[in-house]
Order: sequence, then structure tokens, then C-alpha cells
Amino acid sequence: MLSKALLVMKITTFFLLIGVLQVSARGFGQDKLNLSFKNAEISGILINIEKQTHYRFLYNDQLRGIKRKVSIHVENAGIREALDYLFAQTELTYRFMANGLIVINEDINRQAVEKKVTGKVTDQNGSPLSGVTVTVKGTAKATITNEQGVFNISVENDDILVFSYVGFEPQELKVGDNTQISISLVSAAANLENVVVIGYGTVKKRDLTGAVVSLKGDEVKKVPAGNVMESVQGKVAGVDITRTSGGAGSSVNVTVRGNRSIIAQNTPLFIVDGIQYSNFQDINPNDIQSMEVLKDAASTAIYGSRGANGVIIITTKRGASGKIRVGANAYYGVTDDTGYPVPMNGQQYANLKREANRTAGTWKSSADDAGIFKADLAAVQNGVSTYWPGLLLKKGSQQDYGVNVAAGSEKTKVFFSFDYFKEKGLLANDYSSRYTLRLNIDQTIVGTFKVGLQSQLTWYDENRRTDNVLTVANKVIPYYTPYATDGSLIKFPGNANQINPLLEELPGTFVNKTNTTRILSSAYAEWKPFSSLTLRSNLGITNGSSRNGLFNGENSINRSTSTGSSAKVTNATQTDLIWENIITWQKKLADHSVDVTAVTSYISNKQDSSYAQGTGQLVPGQSFYALLNNPSNLAIWSNYIGSNLLSGAFRINYGYKGKYLLTVTGRADGSSVLTKDNRWSFFPSAAVAWRVIDEDFMASQHLLSDLKIRASYGIAGNAAVKPYSTNTGLILIPFSWNDQTMQAYGFDPQNGNRNLKWELTGTQNIGIDFGLLKNRISGSVDYYDSKTHDLLLLRPVPTSSGHARVVENVGKTRNNGIEVSLRSVNIQTKQLTWTTGLTYTRNKERITDLVNGINDIASGLFIGSPVKSFYDFQKRGIWQTADSTAAKSFGYKPGDIRVADLSGSKGEPDGKIDANYDRTIVGSAVPKYTIGFSNDVTFGNFDLNVYVFARIGQTFVSDYANKFEPNAIENGAAVNYWTPENPSNDYPRPNINVSRASLPFATTLGYKDGSFVKIRNITLGYTLPKTLTQKIHISSLRWYVSAKNYFTFSKVKDYDPEGEGSFERPLTKLIVTGLNLEF
Amino acid sequence: MKRNIHVHAILLWLLTVVVAGASCNKKLNEINPSGLTSDVAYSNAKGFETLVNAAYTYTRFWYGKEEGYSVSEMGTDIWTNGSGDVYTQLTRYDNLQGSNTSALNLLWDNFYAGVFLCNTGISKIAGIPDYTAAQKATREGELRYLRAFYYWHIVETWGGVHFTTKPADGVETTANRTPVDTFYKQIFEDLQFAIKNLPDKTSDYGRATIPVAKAFLARMYLTRGMNEQAIAMANDVISNYGYTLLAKFGDLWNMGNIKNKEVIWAIDYSTNLTNNDLTSSAYPTGHSRGSNNGHLMFLQVYDQVNTSILTRDINNGRPFNRYMPALSLLNMFNESDDSRYQSSFQTVWYCNKAARAVGNTFIKDSFDYKVGDTVCYASKNTLNAADMNAKRYTTYDISRVYGSNGIPTQRKFYVSLKKFKDSTRASAAEAQSARDVFVMRLAEMYLIAAEAEFKIGKLDSAAYYLNLIRKRAAIPGHEAAMQISSTDVTLDFILDERARELCGEQLRWFDLKRTNKLVDRIKALNPDAAKYVQSYQTVRPIPQTQIDAVTNKTEFTQNQGYQ
Repeated sequence: MLSKALLVMKITTFFLLIGVLQVSARGFGQDKLNLSFKNAEISGILINIEKQTHYRFLYNDQLRGIKRKVSIHVENAGIREALDYLFAQTELTYRFMANGLIVINEDINRQAVEKKVTGKVTDQNGSPLSGVTVTVKGTAKATITNEQGVFNISVENDDILVFSYVGFEPQELKVGDNTQISISLVSAAANLENVVVIGYGTVKKRDLTGAVVSLKGDEVKKVPAGNVMESVQGKVAGVDITRTSGGAGSSVNVTVRGNRSIIAQNTPLFIVDGIQYSNFQDINPNDIQSMEVLKDAASTAIYGSRGANGVIIITTKRGASGKIRVGANAYYGVTDDTGYPVPMNGQQYANLKREANRTAGTWKSSADDAGIFKADLAAVQNGVSTYWPGLLLKKGSQQDYGVNVAAGSEKTKVFFSFDYFKEKGLLANDYSSRYTLRLNIDQTIVGTFKVGLQSQLTWYDENRRTDNVLTVANKVIPYYTPYATDGSLIKFPGNANQINPLLEELPGTFVNKTNTTRILSSAYAEWKPFSSLTLRSNLGITNGSSRNGLFNGENSINRSTSTGSSAKVTNATQTDLIWENIITWQKKLADHSVDVTAVTSYISNKQDSSYAQGTGQLVPGQSFYALLNNPSNLAIWSNYIGSNLLSGAFRINYGYKGKYLLTVTGRADGSSVLTKDNRWSFFPSAAVAWRVIDEDFMASQHLLSDLKIRASYGIAGNAAVKPYSTNTGLILIPFSWNDQTMQAYGFDPQNGNRNLKWELTGTQNIGIDFGLLKNRISGSVDYYDSKTHDLLLLRPVPTSSGHARVVENVGKTRNNGIEVSLRSVNIQTKQLTWTTGLTYTRNKERITDLVNGINDIASGLFIGSPVKSFYDFQKRGIWQTADSTAAKSFGYKPGDIRVADLSGSKGEPDGKIDANYDRTIVGSAVPKYTIGFSNDVTFGNFDLNVYVFARIGQTFVSDYANKFEPNAIENGAAVNYWTPENPSNDYPRPNINVSRASLPFATTLGYKDGSFVKIRNITLGYTLPKTLTQKIHISSLRWYVSAKNYFTFSKVKDYDPEGEGSFERPLTKLIVTGLNLEF
Repeated sequence: MKRNIHVHAILLWLLTVVVAGASCNKKLNEINPSGLTSDVAYSNAKGFETLVNAAYTYTRFWYGKEEGYSVSEMGTDIWTNGSGDVYTQLTRYDNLQGSNTSALNLLWDNFYAGVFLCNTGISKIAGIPDYTAAQKATREGELRYLRAFYYWHIVETWGGVHFTTKPADGVETTANRTPVDTFYKQIFEDLQFAIKNLPDKTSDYGRATIPVAKAFLARMYLTRGMNEQAIAMANDVISNYGYTLLAKFGDLWNMGNIKNKEVIWAIDYSTNLTNNDLTSSAYPTGHSRGSNNGHLMFLQVYDQVNTSILTRDINNGRPFNRYMPALSLLNMFNESDDSRYQSSFQTVWYCNKAARAVGNTFIKDSFDYKVGDTVCYASKNTLNAADMNAKRYTTYDISRVYGSNGIPTQRKFYVSLKKFKDSTRASAAEAQSARDVFVMRLAEMYLIAAEAEFKIGKLDSAAYYLNLIRKRAAIPGHEAAMQISSTDVTLDFILDERARELCGEQLRWFDLKRTNKLVDRIKALNPDAAKYVQSYQTVRPIPQTQIDAVTNKTEFTQNQGYQ
């Protein structure tokens, strides 16, 4: 027996020597095998392998397994894969020796109790998954699938195998009698589509009873933007997102289902990994796993006094056991303004001045130019013209670089990331850099007890320009030049009153530097004593601290009318502490399923801030770093605000046969900002849903693939009562005796109100979710009606009482509307897919009651109109010469603005223009409807996204259109004004004796239709083929080019109406290119 | 067994949560370390001092402020609007309504806030444990003086509007209409209390003292036609408290001599501007310009006369071009005898930037100008056109400013009141001046006495008091020419004399109202306002915000004549 073995060895050695000579040229390990045998002896198959490759086998042919008959079918397989497969049904093992020699032996230890299991792991589409961790549950025994997704492992029949892989749902499988296993894992993303995060828990999408929109990570980062909310603009029906400033690092306004509140903010509650965190701009979009928007009160009532403005839940990515995944992203882009109106040039301005003087009789022809232009005559005659805003507006840039790592073992899972984002604004020295670090850890301690930590650190380094630099640039007389003959900047060009706005671009002239650090960190402990019960405790701490240093040099705009420089440093810190305990109990009994959640919550919020300032320091270069060197106007200030909220909440989800669903929610909130009597409030809600598609009678039809009807009603609050509003405070009044500073305390004009309580919003919601043609078309339609009462209003009180105002719970608002979101898969072939997403939101917002049931004109609040409405005279044009008699009867003359005589003291037009009767709502800042329309096409390795956003029906006030100076005192808009020869209906006649302030009805010039349609995003991406990327050990590499906000269609020329009319910080468009990389 | 452990563990967990939760309940008590409430702050002497200090601060919204000038000097016979005026409603009565005149809101709101604070203090002072009886008397005297002072402005400006001596408790949404007599009854009562309890001197310049209260009482007596009392009280102040008229009228306006023997009571704006009332993030309810703004309001835009050779500087001031003299005011002065014309008005502006330029903008010939050369001259007389054109500087005589009807033909270049100019400001652009505002000075006492004597028919005595004022006002050597006799004394003469002495000092509107001359003299002397003024306009419209805010709208109504 031994001799025979020796013989085989010898022969093999001989062949080996030859083999080495043969194969050295082609190298090892590249042989690919094709084996196809049915019921063949293993020894025979081994010979076949030796024929196909350079490998040689060495074994004792007395081994039991070597004669076993097996079937095998592998194509283009590696040697290890083939052998694994071949030996899986035996006790045989193999070992690679030098030079392609493979020694085969028998595993004596295992043969009695264990068996070998081999298998292949694929994804849903059947592609092999390499790097999947296969663990024997409860043991340390584990293996990893190879490049072909094949694994083998020794197990007992009772063992359970756990398959885990980053980005996929872990799966368990009992081995049983199987020796060959093929299993496909479900991607976590795909599975998450069916799981929706709701307050304090998750629910399967099919079981959802409220109006909740769920967006996945890919969707929230499609549009390159500094913050996630900007990226998802228009993608969530019912959420209105606008960016009104193009300044570096500027955020967006977010409202869910309209404005309910008047003095309170209407921004929704943001929950990040279970912790309330309003600074969504801190979050690296690449860290986001999913974002959920809770819209109806049934969904938000679990957040009680904070939920009425909607809740946006952001969940970040977590680690997973299995192969380490490394992702990297980078993009760089150039920004430019989306249009900026040009003020008058030198000639146009000179003409305005001539016309203005002509009206007053001080100019008849160019012979009078000297009299009106005086010292400027030469400049006018030279035809000099400076486009001042153009000197300030440059190109900006936006860039982002990030790396993230997801890894883990069976018990420890880690996700961490780094991101750097920088935006350079269109103005010099306007920039914002953000650094974000994240670390998420989950650790199983023992059994079903696990703990974890989410933490994020964000640091900003920002410098923002003055708020009025472009306003100044639009005023400066255009026939002046900024530079003296020696090239230096002139402080007051042409002796005018306007300071040269370019001065602030000089180093150190204007510094407004903010450094902000924010930490969002939360830890949890979770224990499942039984499979039906989960106990969880969350402790979250968010801490923000910022330092703003503001330095206005002598040549800055803000100090041009004061003496010396001014310097100021403001420090602010904010700390929230959140402790929440959550019990979840789930039980399924026959047709009944019950899911109960109970929550206790404690939230403490503390803010303090301080500043110090002074003026007139000796050396400007010390900026704001040496306040002590400021001799005058020294001032210091500090402040503290704190509040606590204590809550208990519950939710019961009940399902019968999975078809009839009921959710009942309640939350009790107790807050420190209210007095004892009003401190506690209760917020109930209920929702029902009927899964029609699951009814028997639906089984026979094939059109509908999903159908669910939902209805809910609930009450949520707005925690807008500011701390200390129940007390009447005192204010410190600066005062002195004999120039010695003295303390003086007078009453705050705002009176305290001990009866304050929460603003409450009751919302009813009816919704339908459907799918057609095997979900080729799917969507939701929701109708809602939310009524807010006990509205917090800053009510003016007669000042004869000694106070000016008080916050009271009076007034009501109502928002109702319809939301549609649709998704269709238009084409789906192997090469080409085309999907379309559409959202449509129509919200009708109006105030329904105010103090004493009457309009508050002073505050601009009108019953029946949206909160942000414009109330003014109705411009009908300009009084023309032919109508001079009619004009005169109203007290006007040709060339004046003509407004409508709408009514009078008797309720009908009375031939008088009167502020009481002739003003009306001329527009509102809220849109009638918004549409988001997104198309995704993938063709081979190319992907294309085109995304259109429309916001229709809103009005805005244009700074530019308003900038008409009839007396030509400063530069302004180039407009078509009335002259006797030019019977314009746009702008009135210039007149040297009429200032803008005294121009009748001047404010009517600014209102513009703000409707717009914009192609928000066009992205073309190309993913390198896997065959290429694998060579460089990269699993995926995508390159893309993106154009953001490049095309805007509106009725306004040269201006993006989304900016709402401001001269300052025009909105930007961006062309960007970037890479997404995965290892 | 395993199950029991689980149950125990859950119970323990729940217990921890509940216990921790219960201990949290006290967390619902509000903590406000950076805020102050009246109960805490005004509970002892030290805190109460801050209340009394604060009670003075509301005067700063009226004195030296545009809003104050607009209601006290404007809408009279002596001023009209420059092209920069923003409250032409008040200057000319052109569409004067409570809904469009924010100046009235500022004064209404703040004077009632002042009254509320005084009422609070007066009702609390008895309970301040660590005040001596004397301190209590003094401080209550000050508060009562201030309450009388505020109520006088309120009742004269708006008539019989809201009146109370008790601080409202909680939120008050109604207001009352109280007869004017009730206001004055309280004003007299408070002033008598003040005179009885105040000291006659103070080391804190600007605090109320006996002579301050007496001087104000003299004004009140005159206002209410109590002429004998007015004469007695004015004489008391003139004789007994060491006040004297400064030798030269012009010295009154010298920033270096601003705290002088003629001043009875002033709003003492601090030279440390941070002690004043400018709105800031720390003092959001302050005034948008702060300190004394009188220097801004009355100046012509000299920096637009000839930009090449005359630019804005500290000495010439920052010209807001709000108000210009009505022709009538200029005509009241005999500048050859009366020093008050040259001491009150700036008529010449000098080159502060050497250049070759068209100096006389009416003739357009270029010359070389040195610093100190005359650039602009404004005259109260009508000059010969050829003479004016022969000059190298630009002249604005009467014919180039006012039309034959007295209405200005242009409102930018004119003789400018310079009483309040302040060259100690840090820069030409600085809007805040530390100049004290004289609320009452000794000259007024003479004028009060004169007017009261006139009203009781003692023209000799009236002339006596007027001559004391006129003697001081005379250009040296012209004293005799300035003297008047009893036959010269008429009510109009007294009002003219007041204009010459006090123009710009925030009394004019009250003088005209008191003498029932408001409408007559406007119609006669101020053609801009004559077009609009109505007989009901001896009170101002109540701010519309007040009317809108009251819940008893049928009781608390707008003043008659206003919408």
C-alpha cells in the first residue's frame, strides 16, 4: 500500500519536473476549468483536471472518497472552486504544494460528526456575491465566499448558517440534509423599500396607515448640493423647499403642507437617528440610508407638541458584517449666477437725470447739461459707464470629497465616513467649508443585548460678505469709475454719497468669519428578552458652538457713515440632551397582529450666547482678535435660554388578516415654557387602512397590483412658545448720570401671558396607494385638510396700557390640498431602462381667524389669504395725457402711477384713492402648486437623470423693479418710464423733486409673477465595465457630469424668481463633474 | 426560572425609567438666569433706583429727535419742509392721519411706556424696605414730576385721551377717554407733590429738583391761563435758584459750555454715546438714530452746492435737509440789532477743498478756490441779481429760495438753523450728538412772565420781561435799539419774540396752541401749511395702531376730524 503510494509519488514528481518546465511560461492559477460529468468517479475527474491544467494530484488511491461517484457541472471555474465543489460531498481535503502539486487527503476529524456543505451565494439577479460572510450561528466558525460566490464549510445537520453582506439583508438557513446550498440575498436597499421608518420604530410599507414618503439614499444625493433638503427639492409631494439665497453655504426653507403658524416657524421637526436635530445641512448626503417625511397628523402625533409642521426622519448608514466596503466620492463644479438684472448704464442714467430735471423745468436741452451735471459733466460727456454689480459678481465653485467605510464582524458593525464640502460664492471672500466626520457602531454584547453609538462631528469655516454690498453696487452712479488714475480704489467715486463697494474686497476691510462646530452623538442600548419584546434606551447629546467674528473696517460699507472701524465677536453654544426609552411589543396570533410601542422622553435644551464689541481700533489688521484695542463704544452682552420637555407616548398598530389596519397614537407633553396650569397637553390620533388588493375579489383581476386606502385624523402641536413668554420681562436701557454709566431697567414692550398654550393642528388625511400592471406604474394620492387653532399671535395691545404687544392663542389657519406622486417604469430591458417620477402638490393656505376676527393690516395678515400675502394698491398703468381730466379728479397728473379705485366708504368706487378702501391682496409668496418631474434612463453603462421642477402661482417683490429713483438721486433699474413722448404704462415720469419715498404708489412697481419652471438637474453618468474595474481591484467606478439649475423659464427677465427678488446673493447654477468609487 | 429573571429585569428597567422620569418633573420649572422681572428687580432700593433712572429715559424719544421736532416745531408758522422731510404730514398738515404718521406712534408708545413705569414706581415705592423716608420722598417726587411731564405732552398733543395713575395688571386691551381737565388736575397735583418733596439741588445733572418742577409748573399755569400763578412761579424760579441769563445768546450753543447757569432742565445726552438711546441688539427698543439728532435736521445740503470745492465735513455738519425756515421766521429778525439771527443761523459756507471750479453756479466761470474762500452765501434779504452774479461764490438770496407768495421755489439751499450743530462729533457722518437738549432755560421764564402779564393786561410788566431778554440778545452797542415799550407788546409780538429766542427748541407748536394762534398764524405766515391746516388740528391724530388694538372701539375713538 505504501509502496504503491510511493510509486505514484515518484511518477508524479517526474511529471511535475516536466510540468514546471512547461508551464513556467504561462504562470500559475490562471487555468479555467470546464467540468461536466454525471456519476463519474472522482479519480477520473481529477485526471481530466490534470489534462486541462498544469496541476498534478498526489493522493493515496485507497482513500474512501476517491472512488466516489459524483456529478459536477462547472464552467470556467478556478481550480479551488472546482475542487471545493468536487470534494464537498466527501471527506476529502486538499492542500496546494509548490509548483502546482495538490495533495489530497482525508479529514479524519470531521468525518464522523460533520459534513461539508458547499454552496453559492448570489444576489436577486443571480450574480454571484463574493465576500459574503457565512457563519455557523453560535460559533466562531465562518468562511467567506470566493469570487464566484462559492463557499464551503463543515457543519452539523442541526447548524444554522448565517449569511451576511454589506448592503444586503442578513439571512439564516438551517443546514438539514443539504450538502449543496444555493441562496440569493436580498439587497438591503430593495428590502428597505418595503420598510419605512416612522416615529420610534419601523413599519412595513404595506402596513403603513399614515401619509409618509420614503426616499432612499441614492435619491437624496442625486442633485449635487450642500445639503440634503436642497437635493430633494420637488421630490416629495407636499414639501415646499426653496433656496432664496445663492450665498456660500446658505440653506433652504422647508415647509410641509403650507404655513400654519404666523409668529412661529413653519419648519418641520428633523429627527436624525432618533434625535431631534434641526441642522440638516450638517449631514453628509452620502451618509444617508433613508429619509422619511411624515406628513399627516396620524404620523406626526407621536411627536406631540413638536409635530404639527411635519417630521422629517433621516437615518444614516450602518456597518454590516462581511467584506469591507469602501466608497469614495468627489466632485468639482463651477457656479455662476442664474441671471442678474443690469442697472442703468451711464447714458441711461444721464438721460433719467435730464428727464427728471426736464419735468421740473430745469432742463430743456443738452445746453442745460452743465447746470444739472455740474462737476460730473465731463464724465457724462466722455460716455464713461461702469457696471458696478458686474465688478463684484464673479464665478464661484462647489466641491465635495468624501470617503466612507462600512465593515463589521458578526457582533461588531462599523460605519464611518469623512466628507469635505466647500462652496465659494459669487462674491469675493464669500465661502463656506464643511468638514463632516461620522462614526456609527453597533455591538452585540451578549445574546440579544446590543449597544451602539451614532456620532457626527461637523465643523464649518465660513466667511460671508456684507448683506448689502450688491444693493450699494446698484446705487452707485454709473458714470463714475472705481479706480483713480494710479489704480487705487476711490472711496467715494465722484464725490457721491455712495461708498465704493469694491473696497470691501481689499484684504481685511470686511471680515465676517464664523466657525461652527456641531456634534450630534447618541448612544443606545437594546435588549430583546423575548422575540416579541424589545426594550431600548437612547441617550442623545447634541452640542453646537459657534464663534462669529465681525470686523468692519473704516472703508467698509457699514462704517462709511460712522467713525472708525468696528469689531465684534459673538460666541454661542447650544446643547440638547435627549433621553428616550422605548418598549416595543409585537405579537401575531392567527389573523391578528398587534404592535405596541410605548415611549418616555426627556428633552432639555440650553442655549447661551455672548458678544463683545468695540470701535476705533488702531491697527485694522488686528481684525476682531484684539477687542481690547478698541477705545470706544465697548459693549458686552450675554444671554441664556433654556427649556425642558417631558413626554410619554404610545402607539398601537393592529392588523386583521393583514388587510384591515388600525393605528392609534397618543402623546402627552409637559413643557417648562408654559405655566403649571397649561403645562401638560395630550395629542391623540387614529388611522385606518384597508388593503383592498389583498381581498379575495381582487384576485381575479390583473390590472391592479396594489391598492390600499388610508384615512386618518390626529392632533399635533407647534412648540413655538418661546421660553419665558409667560413672564413680563425688563429691559436694560443704556443710561448715565454725569456721563457715568448707570443701570436703568424699564419694561419690555412685550407683555407676558400666563395663559399661553400650544398651537394645535388637527389634520384629516385620506390617501390611496396603488400599483398598476405589476407595479410598472405605482403611486399615491393624498387629500388632507389641516386646521390650526389656538394660533400663537403677537397681538398688538393698545400701547396706552404701557405695553405694545402680547403673545396670545388667538387666530386660526387652514391648509388643505392634494398631493400626487407617481412612478412608472416605462422601459425595462436588459440594456435600457427608463423610469419616470412625478410629484404634484397643490396646497391652499389661508388664515381663517385673527384677533377680533378682523384683518391685521399693520402685520400684513388677512383672513382668507395666505400668511405671506402682499397687500397694496392695484397698479393699472400710468396716467396718460389723454386721461388727464380723469387723473386730475383723483389728484394725479399724466405720468403718475395709475391705481385702481376699487371701493370706497359706501362699498363702491368713490372717485378717490384711499388706503382704507383701495388696497387689496395683490399676491402671495406661496405657490398655487408645485411639480417635480424626474426621468432616469440607464443604457448599458450610461445613466441619465433629467429633473424638472416647477413652482407656479407665487408672487415676489423685486428689488430691481422697485429700484426706480424718480429724482435720479442714485442709480437704479433700467426701465421704460413715462415721458410726454413715450406714453409708457410701466413706470412713472421722472421728477427731480419727487423722491422714491414720496412717489405715490411706488411699492406697486415691485410685484412680479414668481412662477417658474426649471430644469433642476441634468446628470449623465458612465460606469466603467466590471471587467475593467476588477483589474484595478475596484468594484464600481462611475464618472458623471451634472448641470444644476441651468435652465429656468419664467416671466422675469435676467433673474431667477426662486430668489424672491433680493438684490443680494443671486441664485447660482452649477456645472459639475465627479466620481463615485467603490472598493 | 429563565422567564422570571426576564420579568424581574423588565420590571427593574421600567422602575428606573419611572423613577428617573418622576425626578425629571421638577425640570419643568422654568429657569431664566439672564432675564429680569419687576417683582425681583424693583424689590429693594438698589433695584428701585434703576426704575427711576429708566423713568427719565423716555424723554429721549422726543427731545433732540426727528419725531419730536416734527410734532413740536413743525406744523407751525416758522418752519416748512426741506426736500428731505419725511413727515410732511406734520410739517404741512398734508393728509395728516394716525395711519400714516409713524412719528406719532413712536411718541405715543414711549410716553405711555414712561407713564406706565412711573405709575408702577409710584405704586410700589411705599413697599421698598431699605429706602429712608427722605429717599422715598425724593424718588416719588421725581416719578411724579416725570409723570406730569409725560402727561402734559400727551394731553397737549392728543387731547383727552387715555389716562390712568395705576399700572395695568396683566393684559389691558381697552383704553379710556379722559377729559383734559382731569389730566391737568393730576399734573398740578403731581407737581405740587414734587415741589414739596424734591431737593432743591442734585449732584446728578438732569435729575428733577424743586426749581425744575417749579419752572415746569410755571409753564403749566400759563398753559391753563392761571396767569398770576404763572408770574409768581416764574419769578420764583428767576429769583431764588441762582440761574442767570448768559451774557451772550450765542454762548448758549457752545458745546464747551453746554451745562450753564441758564439751563433749568436738560436732557443730558452722554458724551459716551453707548449710554444713550441708539437701538442695538442689547437695546432693541431704542431709537433708530440715538442721542441728539437736532444737528442733522435743519441744515441745507451745502455739500450739493458745489461738490468740487465744498464737501461734507464735521464742522458744517451732516445735512439732512429736513426743515427750512418759513420766510416769516427770517422776517422776524432784525439782524442788524439782534444777535440771535447770526447766533441761530448759518448763512455762509467756506471752501474746504481747494480746486479750480465753477464757483458761482449761476454764472459758470471757473476760478481757483482756496480753503477758506466763500462758496455759498444765503441771505434773508432780496439782493441785486447783478451783484450776486458778480461774486465768485453762489448766493441764495430770498428771491432764489422763496416765491413771491412765500412758498419755497426750491428746498435744498437756504439759511440754516445752526443752534444744534456739533463739531465735537467724531466724524462728519456721525448721526449721534452728545449735545444736551434744553427742555427749560431761564429765558423761557421771562417769556412766561411776559405773556402772563400781557394776558392780565399789564403791558408795562410784559415789556419789562421782554426787554430783559431783548437786552441780552442785542448786538453789543445796539441794546437801545432792541428795547421796546408797552405799546409794542401784542400777543403776536410775544410769539415773534419767542420765535426769535426759542426757535427750534421744541416749544413752538405748544406756544401757538396755548395762545389760540395755531391756525391763524399758519394761515398768515406759512403758505405751505396754510393750504391744508384745519381748525380741528389743534390736536394730533391718535396712532391708528392704538385705535386698531383697543377692544372698546366705540368708546375709544379717533380725534375729531381725522379718519
